[in-house]
Amino acid sequence: MSGEILLSVDDVSLSFGGVRAIADVSFDIRKGEVRAIIGPNGAGKTSMLNVVNGFYHPQKGEITYRGRTRARMKPHEAAEQGIARTFQNVALFKGMTTLDNIMTGRSLRMKRNIFWQALRHGPALDEEIKHRRVCEEIIDFLQIEHIRKTPVGALPYGLQKRVELGRALAMEPELLLLDEPMAGMNLEEKEDMSRFIVEANRLRGATIALIEHDMGVVMDLSDRVVVLEYGRKIADGVPDMVKSDQKVIDAYLGAGR
Amino acid sequence: MGSAREGRDANDTFAKLLRSHVAERGQRPAFRHKDFGIWQTWTWAEVLEQTRAIAQGLLSLGLDRGDTIAVAGANRPRLYWSMTAAQMIGAVPVPVYADSVADEIAAVLSHSEAAVIVAQDQEQVDKILSVRDRLPRLRHLLFDEPRGLTDYDEPSLHALEAIMAKGRAALSDARLAAALDRRIDEGVGADPSVILYTSGTTGRSKGVVLSGERAIAAARDTVAFDKLTDRDEALAYLPLAWVGDHYLNYAQGLVAGFCIACPESADTAATDLREIGPTYHFAPPRVFEALLTRVEIRMEDAGALKRWLYRRFMAVAKRCGEKIANGERVPWSARLAYRLGDLLIYAPLKNALGFSRIRVAYTAGEAIGADLFAFYRSIGLNLKQLYGQTEAFLFVTAQTDRAVRSDAVGPPAPNVNLRISPDGEVQFKSPGMFVGYFREADKTREAMTDDGYVKTGDAGFFEPDGQLKIVDRAKDVGRLKNGQMFAPKYIENKLKFFADIREAVAVGDGRDFVTAMINIELASVGNWAERNNVSYASYQELAANPQVCAMIEKHVDAVNRSLSEEAMMAGAQIRRFLILPKELDADDGELTRTQKVRRGFIASRYAPLVEGLYTGASEASIAAEITFEDGRKGKLVGTSRIVDMAPFPRTKDACAA
Repeated sequence: MSGEILLSVDDVSLSFGGVRAIADVSFDIRKGEVRAIIGPNGAGKTSMLNVVNGFYHPQKGEITYRGRTRARMKPHEAAEQGIARTFQNVALFKGMTTLDNIMTGRSLRMKRNIFWQALRHGPALDEEIKHRRVCEEIIDFLQIEHIRKTPVGALPYGLQKRVELGRALAMEPELLLLDEPMAGMNLEEKEDMSRFIVEANRLRGATIALIEHDMGVVMDLSDRVVVLEYGRKIADGVPDMVKSDQKVIDAYLGAGR
Repeated sequence: MGSAREGRDANDTFAKLLRSHVAERGQRPAFRHKDFGIWQTWTWAEVLEQTRAIAQGLLSLGLDRGDTIAVAGANRPRLYWSMTAAQMIGAVPVPVYADSVADEIAAVLSHSEAAVIVAQDQEQVDKILSVRDRLPRLRHLLFDEPRGLTDYDEPSLHALEAIMAKGRAALSDARLAAALDRRIDEGVGADPSVILYTSGTTGRSKGVVLSGERAIAAARDTVAFDKLTDRDEALAYLPLAWVGDHYLNYAQGLVAGFCIACPESADTAATDLREIGPTYHFAPPRVFEALLTRVEIRMEDAGALKRWLYRRFMAVAKRCGEKIANGERVPWSARLAYRLGDLLIYAPLKNALGFSRIRVAYTAGEAIGADLFAFYRSIGLNLKQLYGQTEAFLFVTAQTDRAVRSDAVGPPAPNVNLRISPDGEVQFKSPGMFVGYFREADKTREAMTDDGYVKTGDAGFFEPDGQLKIVDRAKDVGRLKNGQMFAPKYIENKLKFFADIREAVAVGDGRDFVTAMINIELASVGNWAERNNVSYASYQELAANPQVCAMIEKHVDAVNRSLSEEAMMAGAQIRRFLILPKELDADDGELTRTQKVRRGFIASRYAPLVEGLYTGASEASIAAEITFEDGRKGKLVGTSRIVDMAPFPRTKDACAA
């Protein structure tokens, strides 16, 4: 996996008041890879994702995406540039159906204005049919046909996570950020989710950055792993290397502090 | 029958039938499948084109007349077409249960000597590849859905799509197209049309060979019987390998020319049913039961007005709905109330269930509770019972539209000869009856009588109105000392229709009278206990409660009353019963994995209890070993009170008959 660099984070620091969430972290994400960010609780993993998709603005350092070093960017700008994400705590529209939730992932790609869409006629209808097709392909891909018309609030957690992934995929993202996609899942759900992530990466061509606590999953899925502890990067490399790194073992086992 | 039978000789195979539909109704819908959220439809003309492409593709793989082609997967149009394509080239399709494990598939594939298997998806392909080394005759694997299969490095694995493209290209050559047509013409009705493997609940599964002309003759009879036409529509959601699907959907669909809709996935079948709104439907009793439970739970959650309306009008339906359905005389006031109920409750309810357009619905397979059956009949669903088996190509008996009852399975279906052997076994000769078991001539001989009737292995008798009543498996039917017939399952089923009774074991073969051992249903009796402030800590404690015993006694009494009304059964009323101190469990070997009681095993294990039932004791004790869920063993010591029942006298009806 020696693709070109899609995103690079250089010397980024982020503080909330006196708390340093991220301190001088640099790493990169290459096109087409699955990149894991791991670390103990409070290591700054979610903050890192929030920095990448423009939700937080780092005090120091810069982020280069698709070769362009960016200044402050807002989350919707990140979305427009092909960065999609899912959240640690599922963030869906609970009252809307699975299908509608996934359709919202298409909204950036819908060109007709609200008046055309309200009329639901002519070009707006053609457009909706086209986008519905894409969503249906995702529904088929994630095997959630049976809950297509179910409000997501009524779904079990594992399925909500799947719908959230569906919505992110609907954006046809170039970079997909997954924040603990398997938290709280049982073994079977984890296996399903792993399969979807692998297929999203291989067949749908999405570059993936994921935060995950299940080490088995991380080591199986990812091409490279970056390890954070207390906001600092302590290791970066292929899974096998990271696994045997003494600093990483210490961070997880709490030794040497 | 007249017009339906015309052209019998011309269309004696399914491949010829398909061709004839294109001439008669080429633009009518033939198949539907929900894909990507939309119902895709194929006309008869399109189906013929697709099927021919598969057939030519199979020829290009070297398949020939007489080969067998297995089909594994859910109800998908292309899997149905693959069966017709096999029949076109004179090969024999063998549908396989999609949920069978690899070993079972291997057994069927090797016994049927399948040369090709058409599999639905990766799941099926993986199963077959895992047993590949046991299948030397299997030459090619075709798959319908490529998902997940693109990376497989297996030279004998082909996408069905690719094989069809090859076939299509070949068929553009007029000579090859004509050759395929000739092949279809050369097929004769006496050729084997399909091999259906029995589910194997009673021993190893056997391959039932059916011929085209017989299958089509049987389907024609029942299509005429239920007046099915090309305007009908059915949802194909039953397993492909089951005779019911092959008959009700494939054979009847191809004979009548109606449209078969395939659900999007097994999980969406209920939604798909509502969207399609079939006019012809089949479901086993447990499906109807599950639906009714769902309706009742949702009504509990409904607002007060809706609940009141529901109760009010369901009472009306109960009073006169069935009578109206059976065409009996009903006072006009009741008719009016029923019409109003239809407007407010029955029609919306049927709509919610997807039953709005159903003209004919069947259920079969197991006994159906009278209340359950009456519920659907009374809201205006034309639900009927049939009795059949694979060897008959389904129909042996079927109820006619206006003579329907829950406790019998109907008179013989059209052109079926039915008789009861001297020892009580049901035997038949039918238009669709099987040719033989595949590669098991001895088994075929065993299953037939010398004069050509098929032995069903079921015991039954005819009711005065000519309807057949199945009581039990023939080998389980015994006799009391006085010669009275004793059908344990028949009595047990009557007991089990009470929600408070979970399992029952009837004893009586070679005894003076019938006794029963009963398992209470913890959910419903427990619920009763909560409502009536009866505290209990375990099943055992609840089972020993005198109030519970009194409740069960009432149920047994009701069963006895209903037995007393039947001439054949009046002498087999339950004289004594007890409530078992332990729940029957498959882990202890008391039930099969499909939750059927193993009577012989239970009788020996609970011998002290059985003895108590026949020695006149007022209670009996047992010390049984039990297995906990985690596999540990323990001992259970329990005592059961034995209750004496007074039998009902034979009723007048029963005496007269």
